[in-house]
Amino acid sequence: MTAEYLHPLTTRRAGEMIAHGPAGDVRVDQFLTQAKALSRKLPDHKYVINLAADRYAFLLGFCAAVIAGQCTLMPPNRQRQTLQTLADEYGDCYSFGDAGLDNMECFDSNFPVEGTIDPGVPGIPDDQLCAIAFTSGSTGKSTPNRKYWRTIRVSTQSNIDLLLEDRTGPMHLLATVPPQHMWGFETSVLLPLFCDVAVSYLTPFFPQDIADALASLDQPRALVSSPVHLDALLNANVGDVRIDCIYSATAPMTAELAQKLEDRFAAAVIEIFGCSEAGTFAARHTASESLWRLSKSFALTIGENGALISAAHLPEDVALQDVVELVDKDHFRWLGRHQDMVNIAGKRASLADLNHRLNAIPGVIDGVIFTPDDTSKRLAALVVAPGLEPSDILDELKRGLEPAFLPRPVYVVPMLPRQETGKLARKMVVELFEETRRSRKAEYEGPADDAT
Amino acid sequence: MQPQSDHEKEVAELIVECLNLEDIAASDIAPEEPLFGEGLGLDSIDALELALAITQKYAVQLKADDANIQEVFGSLRSLSAYIAQEAA
Repeated sequence: MTAEYLHPLTTRRAGEMIAHGPAGDVRVDQFLTQAKALSRKLPDHKYVINLAADRYAFLLGFCAAVIAGQCTLMPPNRQRQTLQTLADEYGDCYSFGDAGLDNMECFDSNFPVEGTIDPGVPGIPDDQLCAIAFTSGSTGKSTPNRKYWRTIRVSTQSNIDLLLEDRTGPMHLLATVPPQHMWGFETSVLLPLFCDVAVSYLTPFFPQDIADALASLDQPRALVSSPVHLDALLNANVGDVRIDCIYSATAPMTAELAQKLEDRFAAAVIEIFGCSEAGTFAARHTASESLWRLSKSFALTIGENGALISAAHLPEDVALQDVVELVDKDHFRWLGRHQDMVNIAGKRASLADLNHRLNAIPGVIDGVIFTPDDTSKRLAALVVAPGLEPSDILDELKRGLEPAFLPRPVYVVPMLPRQETGKLARKMVVELFEETRRSRKAEYEGPADDAT
Repeated sequence: MQPQSDHEKEVAELIVECLNLEDIAASDIAPEEPLFGEGLGLDSIDALELALAITQKYAVQLKADDANIQEVFGSLRSLSAYIAQEAA
């Protein structure tokens, strides 16, 4: 390996602030000393499942693993089944920061730091596999997305251009999304390594927690979040708190929500477009822009099989799960998701897979899971299953599905409106759903005064 | 099933209404059964929506650090008790 393939772990200067940890502010030189010390103590395995909830511990664990030449696995959730699948697939692994499975070696980051380690910046080979992100979804087996050091450093530079635009000087960042999620990883873990961002170790959930955590940070402040969290923050009456930049991803944001957030917090609201496979590749000011601005590091092409994202720093081209229209080479318009794909709570699932699971339940004769309308946060189901209650069906689905994908409500109906060919038209399904909902509501509430 | 108090009944109605739990009647929510996971099968998005509805109706801010939030959201009874205590 020659030196030209080595690139620094961080481009930050020694005295700058990189994180706000549980024990106080952390400078870059302190962080480097800790990461290098930690890298020497890590168990000797090829893979590490980083489960740290403390974001600074995650950052340390990730960087120590990179220095030690280990690859960090980022599970889409903490469910036993998910971790077991990872452990089976990547046998030579241990968990970091939090116990994963009973039979898995766990390494905790609480260790004394030796003072004799020089804080010089390690060089990392560009072709080193540093992380594998997994597309979150309903299926037990998810596709691995490999992140080489080259991918990581080039895509972070692209994100700095998209997110920070022409801002200079330090920024204090808080994220409500976990560091293991690609969106949280790119922003709260990688940005601090390559630009003047100091990240908070906290991952607040409730609106008041978010406001308190923000208030504890110096200004200017950035908040990395999702439309669900931001909508709650907007409506929860948390008092005055100054936020300079709000970054949103994981689900589409309406222009109305973006505008309200800008008005309420005097913040610039930037929505990003990306996926686990390619990372972030476009952004827009949602309150005033409908078109997406493509990062200079990426190219978007529309072919027979849909939209394709390519970049020199990606191991392979990525087919998008979205239908988009190219306006010019730097801008595109989002038209919707592919019909089979649904995105609930930032997790992706194939409707075909969900429907397969539903129809595999003993006692289910016919059934369909679908999205009732474009704005719904939940799926719904119509099921032909004489003798089964909706709760029985949900109990069966719960066995192998993320809760986010459980349909709500589930209506048991006499039959589905199938055409002669056996096809189910979406329009007919939605009509039957609306009709059933109306009659169930009437049943539940009793006859209304104006009932005919 | 243990009977719901008047306050618990009110909170149960709020849960059913704000989360669109059409398959469940408010009066069917057992006060000591879990709301999340195994019980009603609610998830974190529900927790956020519910927290927001509680803030708007009772002016109570739920916070993860001032109580064991898992316990507060553990059942209709614990959630109702928390609201009553904080709103007082």
